Amino acid sequence: MSPDDDTKNQPEHTTHVGRRAVLGVATLGAAGIVLGSRVENRLGGALTRISNDLGGLGALVPGADEFRIYTVTGSIPTIAPATYRLRVDGMVEHPLDLSLGDLRAMKRTQLVHYFQCVTGWRVPDVHWGGVRLSEVLAHAGVKPGATALRFFSGDGVYTESLTMSQAQLPDVLVADEMIGDDVTPEHGGPVRLYVAPMYGYKSIKWLDRIQVLNEVIPGFWEDNGYAVNAWIGGNS
Amino acid sequence: MSLRSDASPAAPAANRRPPKTIERFDVVERAVHWTTAVLMLELLATGAILYIPSIALVVGHRAIVENIHVYSGLGLLVPLLVGVLGPWRERLVRDLRRFDRWSVADWDWFHRKARRSGAPKGKFNGGQKAEAAFVGSGMLVMLATGVLMRFAPVSWINWQQGATLVHDVGFIAIAVGVLGHIYYALNRPEQLRSMITGRISRAWATKNTPAWVEEADEGKP
Repeated sequence: MSPDDDTKNQPEHTTHVGRRAVLGVATLGAAGIVLGSRVENRLGGALTRISNDLGGLGALVPGADEFRIYTVTGSIPTIAPATYRLRVDGMVEHPLDLSLGDLRAMKRTQLVHYFQCVTGWRVPDVHWGGVRLSEVLAHAGVKPGATALRFFSGDGVYTESLTMSQAQLPDVLVADEMIGDDVTPEHGGPVRLYVAPMYGYKSIKWLDRIQVLNEVIPGFWEDNGYAVNAWIGGNS
Repeated sequence: MSLRSDASPAAPAANRRPPKTIERFDVVERAVHWTTAVLMLELLATGAILYIPSIALVVGHRAIVENIHVYSGLGLLVPLLVGVLGPWRERLVRDLRRFDRWSVADWDWFHRKARRSGAPKGKFNGGQKAEAAFVGSGMLVMLATGVLMRFAPVSWINWQQGATLVHDVGFIAIAVGVLGHIYYALNRPEQLRSMITGRISRAWATKNTPAWVEEADEGKP
């Protein structure tokens, strides 16, 4: 509509400020989508400091390099490290019931790698420690024909899956150390999985049982529409 | 002023007086407003559960909360679209056009009293128009970023991360916008009532929005 039409219909001159404002905000939003990850990767450290300075309100700061604690049940399971047992069963020669001590007696692996959530947040340079999943499976002795793993969480609801070849990757850990200390209850302690090349939802917390199978059974979020093969960035 | 034959057919023309109230929002506009308001508050509440860690920890049940949030979010613009696309659209579209067009009086709203031009004020003031543009565009941005967060293929990780950042910032901005809107409404009972009953007193309108009273009397309330 030309300005002439405006003045014809309106008692005085008006301008299309409203639609320009909407276009402006939409453009800003689009720019944020395209450039946001770069901004966040550059400013993440500073945003984290701001977030920490704000105390209780700090959680509202977007883009800070901080873990967000997600649970799919109503509470965080509390599992006593002294009585913890990790069950490994299914298609294995020797079903295992591993205590924390048993796990720590195995060959240990440390790695420093980011944690990437599928919803977009990322925590850089997280220190992880534990036993390679392949090492645990070697102790149990995988039977021929086994092609997949199913993981059960101590929360009684959450499950996850990996193929046998994914489970053999060197950066897939049965982790009992995280951020340089024991895994805390909210991060899934005493023992959780850490699948470095995949989105965070694959890294099941409160790891309770590993079942060796001959087919992939999709896990909790996968039943809710998330990818079973959750490679970060989609490269396999 | 044009005389309308349907204004009050029962009364003799000589005694015709303007009614004591003017319809400010018709039933379509009110329906769109309140359905959108309920959706918006529900989205802010579920959004707070998903976004603020301390609340997320207390509530848990992330999958359920997320699904409620995502699917009601997809429906956020439905009331407005139904309002704009149906044969009942006239009043709603006219008010949306009013939001778009800014006159001198609208810019006045942002100035201190002494610097105002005194131009006749229309149905909505500059603050209301700014809020409409802000929340309206915010809804579009939240919808687009939300869809990316939930439904984009995993290979779009950089855009998803950007969308998350925008969605997080948008949550805070819209929460402020909506709370401000509610605060203003609660402090202006007559205007709030007009969003419930649809009508506002001619006295209020003549004092506060004289240009709109003229439009209403010309058949374009």
